[in-house]
Order: sequence, then structure tokens, then C-alpha cells
Amino acid sequence: MISRQSLIVAKWEFLRFFKWKQQLVSYLLMLGVMAAVALWSFFTDESRQQYRIAVPAQLQIVNTEQFQFQRPGIGFEAQLAQMRSDSSWHAVISEEQGELVVHTLTGKKWLAQLEAVLQQHYRQLSAEKMGLSATQLSQLEQPVSISTRYLDQSYKGKDTPEKMIALGALILLFVGLSTAFGQVLVSITGEKQQRVTEQLYAIVTPQQWMDGKVLGHSFSALKAMITSGLVMLLAFAVVSLFAEKAIDLSWLNIGVVLWLVPFALLGVVLCASFMGAIAASIDDPNNSGKSAVMMITWLPMVFTFMVIDSPAGWGMTLLSFVPLTSFAAMPVKMAMVTVPWWQPLLSLLLLLATVYWMRRVAGRVFLRGMQMYGKEPSWGDIVRWALSNKTE
Amino acid sequence: MQLIVTAISKAYASVQAVKQVSFQINSGEIFALLGPNGAGKSSIIRMLVGMTQPDSGSIMISYQDQHFDHVPRRFLGYLPEDRGLYPDKSIEKNLLYLAQLHGLTKSKALTEMDYWLDVFELTERRHEDLKQLSKGNQQKVQLIAAVLHQPALVILDEPFSGLDPINQEKVVVFLKQLKAKGMTVILSAHQMAMVEKLADHMLLMAQGRVVLAGTLQHIQQQSQQQQRMKIATASAVTAEQLQQLHGVLSVEPLQAQHFLLTLAGDVSVSDCLKQLLQHAELTLIEMQTPDLHQLYLAAMAKHKPEVAA
Repeated sequence: MISRQSLIVAKWEFLRFFKWKQQLVSYLLMLGVMAAVALWSFFTDESRQQYRIAVPAQLQIVNTEQFQFQRPGIGFEAQLAQMRSDSSWHAVISEEQGELVVHTLTGKKWLAQLEAVLQQHYRQLSAEKMGLSATQLSQLEQPVSISTRYLDQSYKGKDTPEKMIALGALILLFVGLSTAFGQVLVSITGEKQQRVTEQLYAIVTPQQWMDGKVLGHSFSALKAMITSGLVMLLAFAVVSLFAEKAIDLSWLNIGVVLWLVPFALLGVVLCASFMGAIAASIDDPNNSGKSAVMMITWLPMVFTFMVIDSPAGWGMTLLSFVPLTSFAAMPVKMAMVTVPWWQPLLSLLLLLATVYWMRRVAGRVFLRGMQMYGKEPSWGDIVRWALSNKTE
Repeated sequence: MQLIVTAISKAYASVQAVKQVSFQINSGEIFALLGPNGAGKSSIIRMLVGMTQPDSGSIMISYQDQHFDHVPRRFLGYLPEDRGLYPDKSIEKNLLYLAQLHGLTKSKALTEMDYWLDVFELTERRHEDLKQLSKGNQQKVQLIAAVLHQPALVILDEPFSGLDPINQEKVVVFLKQLKAKGMTVILSAHQMAMVEKLADHMLLMAQGRVVLAGTLQHIQQQSQQQQRMKIATASAVTAEQLQQLHGVLSVEPLQAQHFLLTLAGDVSVSDCLKQLLQHAELTLIEMQTPDLHQLYLAAMAKHKPEVAA
């Protein structure tokens, strides 16, 4: 049961890091950076320009939108001189000992496109020599169409829209846990260094304090996930608009999203509790190696990503039930294969029990860590406290 | 409210921080724990606050017919020795947060806050971040935080440290106000002059042990094994002559014809004066009562071999 004091601490912690003006500015900056990249890409796009290429008289190559192949009536050396003096040519092509040589002033991105056009021309010439028509050549160049039919009816397919949901869920969890990581570390170690903890201890129990911290930073993490999710949807909508396509959200499986919410919520609370326990054992973050251990909370996402293409395999099944990884693995599995109703329920209950235990551990570590007065506990101490039952 | 501490001891690793300390505090009293650094004052306070438990002994508190074997948080206002609040938050936000954690409603907290900010002349600065305040003003905010919820028991660990004499006087006034409001105050300090003005009862400690205990008067009586008398004579008399008198242990010349005599504790002052009058006419006779600082130094000197053992 969450006490009134824990809720006050949670609200304080949430608002302490909720700086909407700064967040708005950061989103505007991000949009500015994206716009700058798009503009730069537009202005430096060489494919929209036309290039004049001088070719030998015998080379009968067809013009494209990008390349104008011309056979000038002057000699090769004069062509090169023209290219150097007045940029009459972007490139001059010669044939030397059976191979084509492209002469140009300096390295350019469009040269690769020119090379592709020349390759295509020579492939066509070779085909003609072999008596093949253009259609036959085109058929030869077509890749073989291979499709797979899965006997496992629960598997929704490899490149289905559901995989987008699964990947999106992993990205959002990563965003949420990164937010929680920074905030929990700064909040707890900062409070210890600012000597606020002793004052707070006289007002609230270590468990109430830790519950408030965990809740506050979990809300922050969820806020970051929701904001990022909305930004991703917004970006999808903008891309669809620019591509002049209707905004299609049919891939968004509401059933899976609804399951994702409790898993994400409990997963974030579990990880924030773990981070809280580690942060509470750190006396000085500048001289402690323990903060790196908090990054362990990213492993569930990494492990899940590694088995994302085998959602019905034993690896994903194991991850989706182990409470330390299930918050990441079960929603991904559910997005990609149909699972019986009891599986997510069982996974959720196991996760809930682990969250309860982990928050108690965090409270105990905070209590005992405070009593050490400036001495940082060893890993042995932390394990002993985690297994003890003392909360006051 | 009554707090009874019986024979508490506490050891950290190889250090015996508190040894068999007992005391009793009654409702509305100001109780001072005195002693140098490392005397065990903060260790006692941490046990009272509940941050640590005594290895042996007991802490009992009675309040409105209820009895507890620890000090419940709801009775407690605390100023820790290692103090600090949230530097990047305003005075008002800091105080409101702590008051709400204590269970006060926002309106009640604001009313109390208005009163105490006015007492400490901080009303105009309530919206400033804590980091913008001087150390003394930050300490005042911390003192307000300890009493905003009107606790029955206020524990202040070194409330005078880091304050200039003017602000120390303000804290004295503040503590008297707490007493007037019926709060019981426990404070630790080594500013004897401040404590002398305030404390109803005190406990002088050294290396975890009680050296002297009781009211100031009681402590003075306890330690009164010598008497000090200041005299001035109308005619010339030497220190050597005064030293010859029965019961005079030492003579300290002060200025022209002024002397400070130290008499043995069992000597009658009137007998001594009769002897003096045979040598010279006296223009000043003043019995000197040792202040707390002198008593403390004397007690420390007396108990040094004992506590070292």
C-alpha cells in the first residue's frame, strides 16, 4: 500500500524534473536540427542536376534525365582542356585498352550514378551480342520471388507491421529507462550529498521515501515514453503527408498496446527500484563504480532484440516469463505471435511479485546505507541487506 | 511529554561512542547536551531520532497517556548536524514540501510558514532559491523546517554552529519562543554562553560519558570545591602577604590593589575576611561564581584521566 507521504515524495520528484519549458525548447531544437539536415540534404542532392558527359563517337548510349551524353567534334585532349577551362563537360569518357575511363575534375557523388548507367548500357550490349532481347534481359535481372508459409498459425510473420510495434515498444522502454537511470542517480545521490536525507528520515520511513522516489521517477519515465511515442507517431504522420499518402494506423494493434501498458509500467517500476537500491548505496557518485551497474536494466531490451526474429523460440519464451526480462520480452512476443491469455497474465503476476520484493530491497538498502555515515557499503553488505527483513 | 533515557550505550566498530548515559526530560524543558567534538552528542541524538538503535539501555517516551519505546516521528522536529535542503528550490517550496510530509495541509503550512518567516525576517525572500541565501539564513530556514508542524519534541543538533553572534542571539530568542509554545527542546552545542541562557537541564559529556548533569545551579554546586573572591584594598598589600592567609590557595594580581583569591572549599569566607581586614582596608569584595564554560573546562580537566581510562 502506498502511503500519503510516498505520494507527496513522488509528486515532488516528478515535478522536480518536469521542466516543460526546457522540454519544449529541446523538442523545438530537435525539430530544428531535423529541418537543417533535410534542407542540407535537399541543397546538396546532386541527382536533381543534369550533367554533360563527353563520350567517344562510337559509344551509342541513350541519354537519361540526369546525364546528357554528347559526342563532340573535337579531340580528346581538347575535351579535357574545355572541361578544365570553362566546365563545358562534367566528365569526359575514353576507351583505353578495352576499358572505359571516366575523366573528371574531382570526386563527386553523381559519379557512382554515372557508373551504374554505363554498367547497364554495357550489360545491354552484351545481351544483344548474345541475342537476348531487352525483355529477356530484364527478366534475367529480376530476383526470384520466394515466399514462406508458416505452419505455426500463431506466428504473424517476419516483416509484418506487428514487428514495428515490437521494435517501437523496445525503443520506448529504452527511452523510459534511460530517463529513469539519469534521474534516479542524480536525485538519490544528490540528496545524500546535499544532506537532505537525514532531515527526511526524521519525517518519513526509508520505505516511504524510496517508494516515493521510485514512483516519481517511474512517472517521469512513463511521461518520456508517452511523449516519445507521440513524437514517433507525429513523425510518421508528417512523413505520410510529405509522401502524399493517407495516414494509415491500421498496423497499431490496440490489444497489444493495452497489454504493453501494464508491462511497461511494472517494468519501469522494477528497474527504478533496482536503480534506487544501487543509488542508495552510493555515497559519492564521482568516486563510485556502482553507478555503471544500474545499466544492467538495459539488458532485457538487448536480450529481447537478439531473439526478436524467433518470437516463438525457447529464448523468447524464457525471457517472457523471467520477471527481470518479461516486461520487455512478453509485449514483443505478443506483438509477433498469438499467445494464450494465461501466459501474459502469469508473466504479469510474477513481475508484480518481483516489483514488490525489489522495492522492499531498495528501502532496506537506503536505511542501512544511511546508517553507515559516509562509508560506502560493499556488494556483500548489499546482498545481506537485500536478503534481510529489516525495514526500520 | 516525558522522555526517559536509561543507560544507553552505542559502539561503532572499535569506538565506544556512548557509554551508559541516562537522563530525563520533562515537558516544556530545554535540555542541552554539551561536549567537544566526538563527545557522543550526535550519537545520542541519532538514537533519539531512531536512525540508530542503542546497543543496550532504553529510550521511553510518554505523551498524553501514551507510552512508546522510541520517539514516534509525528512527535519529532529535527535539525540534523549535517544539514541541507534543496538548494535549487525556493524557501517556500522547501518548507511546504517538508510541512506536507509532516501531515500539514497546504493552508495550515502556509499560515505557520508566514509566522516563522516573519520571526526570522525572511518573509520578503520566501520566493528566492535557497542557494541565493547566506549560510546563516539557510540555517534559519532549516530551523523553521524543524518546528513548522509544531512538534512536541524538537531536537536540534548544533543549532548555533556557523552563525554569527547576532544570529546566535536570534536562535536563543527562537528557542525561548519554542519553550513558550510548550515544546520540549533537546539541543547539542559547545557554545556554553548560549546554553547558559537557555537550558533548564544539561548534560556535559566527554568521550561518550556523562561528566556533569543537572541544572546550571546544580552543576555549579556539584563542582564547587573551590571558591573565588575578587578584592580591592585601600592600602598597599602584596600578593605574597595574601598568600600567607589561612585557606588561601592562590592569589592572582589583577590590577593596582586588585586581586583574585582562590579559597579552599571548606574555608569560611567570613573567617577569611577577618584575616584580610587585619592587613588592609577593603574597598571591594566580590564572590565569583564560575560560568558554565569554566565549570566545563574544570570538569573536563578533572575527568580527563578517568575518561581516558
